[in-house]
Amino acid sequence: MLRLDRRLLQNVDWLLLGAALFIIGLSLVCLWSLNPTRGISSLVWRQISWVGVGLIGLLVVASVDYRNLVRSAPVLYVIGLGLLTSVFVLGRTVSGARRWIHLGPFTVQPSELFKLIFIITLAWALTTGRGERSRTSLIGTFVLLGVPFLLVVRQPDLGTALCLVPVLAAILVGIGIPLKVLGGMTLAGVAFMPLGWFVLKPYQRDRLLVYLDPFRDPLGTAYNVIQAKIAIGSGQLLGKGVGGATQSRLSFLPERHTDFIFAVFAEMWGFLGCLVLIVAYVLLVMRGFEIAAGTREMRGRILALGVTTVFAAQVLINIGMVTGLLPIVGIPLPLMSYGGSSMVVSLTALGLLLSIRMRQFH
Amino acid sequence: MALTTTPANRKEAWGRRVLALAVVTAVGFVGLVGQLWYLQVLEGGRMHELSEKNRIRVRPVAAPRGILFDRNGLALVDNRPAFTLSLIPREMDDRNTVMARLAVLLKMPVGDLLEALERVPADSIRPVRVRRGLTLEEVTKVEERKLELPGVVVEVEPQRVYPNSTFAAHLLGYVREVSDEQMKQGRYRRGDMIGQSGLERLLDDYLRGRDGGERIEVDAMGRPVQVMRREEPDPGAQVITTIDRRVQEVAEQAMIGRAGAVVVLDPRNGDVLALTSSPAFPLDRLTGNLDRDEWLRLVKDPLTPLMNRALQGQYPPGSVFKIVVAAAGLQEGTLAPMDRIYCNGEFTLGNWTFKDWKPGGHGHMDLRSAIAHSCDVYFYQAGLKIGGDTMARYAHAFGLGMPTGIDLGGERFGLVPFSAARPRKRPLQAGETVNMSIGQGQLLVTPLQVARMMAAVANGGILWKPRLVQRVERADGSLAYSSSSKMTERAELSPVVWAFLRNALTAVVKEGTGAAARIPGLEVAGKTGTAQTIAKSDSAKGQDHAWFASFAPADDPQMVVVVFVERGGHGGDVAAPVARKIYEAFFLQKVAQVTIGESG
Repeated sequence: MLRLDRRLLQNVDWLLLGAALFIIGLSLVCLWSLNPTRGISSLVWRQISWVGVGLIGLLVVASVDYRNLVRSAPVLYVIGLGLLTSVFVLGRTVSGARRWIHLGPFTVQPSELFKLIFIITLAWALTTGRGERSRTSLIGTFVLLGVPFLLVVRQPDLGTALCLVPVLAAILVGIGIPLKVLGGMTLAGVAFMPLGWFVLKPYQRDRLLVYLDPFRDPLGTAYNVIQAKIAIGSGQLLGKGVGGATQSRLSFLPERHTDFIFAVFAEMWGFLGCLVLIVAYVLLVMRGFEIAAGTREMRGRILALGVTTVFAAQVLINIGMVTGLLPIVGIPLPLMSYGGSSMVVSLTALGLLLSIRMRQFH
Repeated sequence: MALTTTPANRKEAWGRRVLALAVVTAVGFVGLVGQLWYLQVLEGGRMHELSEKNRIRVRPVAAPRGILFDRNGLALVDNRPAFTLSLIPREMDDRNTVMARLAVLLKMPVGDLLEALERVPADSIRPVRVRRGLTLEEVTKVEERKLELPGVVVEVEPQRVYPNSTFAAHLLGYVREVSDEQMKQGRYRRGDMIGQSGLERLLDDYLRGRDGGERIEVDAMGRPVQVMRREEPDPGAQVITTIDRRVQEVAEQAMIGRAGAVVVLDPRNGDVLALTSSPAFPLDRLTGNLDRDEWLRLVKDPLTPLMNRALQGQYPPGSVFKIVVAAAGLQEGTLAPMDRIYCNGEFTLGNWTFKDWKPGGHGHMDLRSAIAHSCDVYFYQAGLKIGGDTMARYAHAFGLGMPTGIDLGGERFGLVPFSAARPRKRPLQAGETVNMSIGQGQLLVTPLQVARMMAAVANGGILWKPRLVQRVERADGSLAYSSSSKMTERAELSPVVWAFLRNALTAVVKEGTGAAARIPGLEVAGKTGTAQTIAKSDSAKGQDHAWFASFAPADDPQMVVVVFVERGGHGGDVAAPVARKIYEAFFLQKVAQVTIGESG
């Protein structure tokens, strides 16, 4: 079914792939070091298997022409919408939010998958019909994406919803929406923000207040931020190593293998280790921008820019919140955090980037 | 509105916009690196300290205080584990909030807690003990809210426990947290429990031991993960006293409801077998948290329970002093056992008339019967013949008017008046001499001095330094301290005089005023005393102090018992029965054996 072109293989972006695999390697080491005495724990094995699944997804997506994917956007959109709605019916409530559904032995987080569908739908909506920059098409696009977006917010999965906003903004900037229009939309958004306060759940309000004043309630909501900061800071320049990472090992850090894994890494490997990790992310993201910039075809441009920004946004928001720069929102660190949905979707998204890159010169 | 641009133009514009977005993203990453630099490099040291503080707890391990044993190996005092509330200043981020929570939880004034904290540096890792003797319920409350109370810990400390509240209170003494005044000596750490009186204070350095400590690693829930270093506490040394717990208990029992003192010595070596002062103070209420009201009550009590009457109370010896007068007269040759006088109940000296305690007098008296019946008239005359200063010399020889040298602090000297010691060396007047000859006047003695004197009568003149502590043994069994019997003085009298005195004192119990101390099968020798007091008292029991100074068995003295009952009445009626109870308790087994042997 697939016609493998030798030129396609020549254009595989090994730097992008290498950076991603390097980060995954660090993630596995990090997960292992949380419990080094028990050998390679089931946690690590499960993560490895998710990496395997993700790599298959990456291969499949990379070998398919992304234009076909965009063409099937309506189908994907309906499937995505279905999954998001099913959360409310079949979903499992974890710490006050219904984000996961059971599929046999696995639990799937549809909002992760929706990130990709969001970008593909965006690419489809902006390039189909009368042209990407007509007013009606823009409004149509907003309506089209607004429905699932609200579903994600209602779960609530504020983190996912939050990182879709910069994606939308970046794509709108990318396709050349006049700054006046963008400015107007931003103002409207700011105007609606106080309303948003009432939509937030109490624990989300707490998180915001804690962000503004971490010592408001040092053993309650702010505990996570304080302990994460202590973990990161105590790593100092060179880190404490695997054995000395007391903050991580003695459970002072919450969510240490998922959302707060960066703090574990920072405690063990210090500032220099963090620098290496961040450089890997920067390489990956910059490579994504380069691919986006170098693509001539509109759908490819939007997809590449979307995937790159969703990736960058997640990394920036996650590390920002763990280091105390941003309020706490539940969002994993792509390729680092433990979790199947995130890993598979991140790798598949990278497959999309590779696919675009390989077909740039057609 | 669509912009009309050539494809080349459009490509260039797209590239510029992507570049702009890339720059914005890059700025974001630079921001992250900046924050990491701040946290890990600039604040890294502080954060590292915080992470250590998170995981390391320093817990002192209190050394159990040494136990005091009686001569037969019975414990006089023991330890039991008690809960102590402590605060670790360094682990408290917001001390006002934590203290407020704690105050509400345990219903104690928040001011006390903050005050305790203010006395130590704010970053101290050493726990400050703020309250001892928590109930199990209070411990549960604190443990349940552990996470809301950072820096609040419950320690388990050994605390003193006593057989009963007042048992041997003056002897043992109480243990309490070091006071501000004592802190200035620089030998103690705040919160140390130290002996404040009695043997506990005397032997504090041995008993206290040395606290150990441990550094433990805890997880986020405060559960200990591992002990990083542990320094074992050095338990306090064990003290083997000379006290006989059984005798002590009987003496205290017999003195319930009476004010006074009992001293029991072994005349063969000066060991103190029992020493009690009544009323006693409740040891358990003075140990640990001091109850202010209780303290005030003790201080204001007219019966002065804090005073150890056995060595701090100074009283006229009354007729007990007649032993000294007889000894002086016989040794000096002033008195002869055969000399008889007629007692008509009165003795006239110039314008003064001195009465005998027995109205109408005792009739014909020689020295032996005068001692047995405590004839005052006989001794008025004898005293005048002997002379005040000679009596004083013999009183000194028997150790009166000078400290016995017992190790307990605060011993009083008593007073034996003699001419050379008086202002301008004014000689004793005849009236004073007459008064002195029956143990009245300025003469003052302590019950312990009387006991030592009786021991000398019993053993032929040896004045022992009363011994309370036999030895102190460290936890490893090695000897930290030991003391042997020490003779301080020797009263040199001719053997005939000693024999006469013992014989006369036996007569006191057999046929005289000490009949209440008579025990079948045991020959008790003793002398009663009824001392008049100068001060007026409203006491229904009158104003006379009751004495009974004795030893037994008369032919082979093993035990000296001196009973003093303050404002108790007649010595023979009040004090002698107390002595009998003590002899019975001590010799009961032997007496029973003797009885069985005789009947069989």
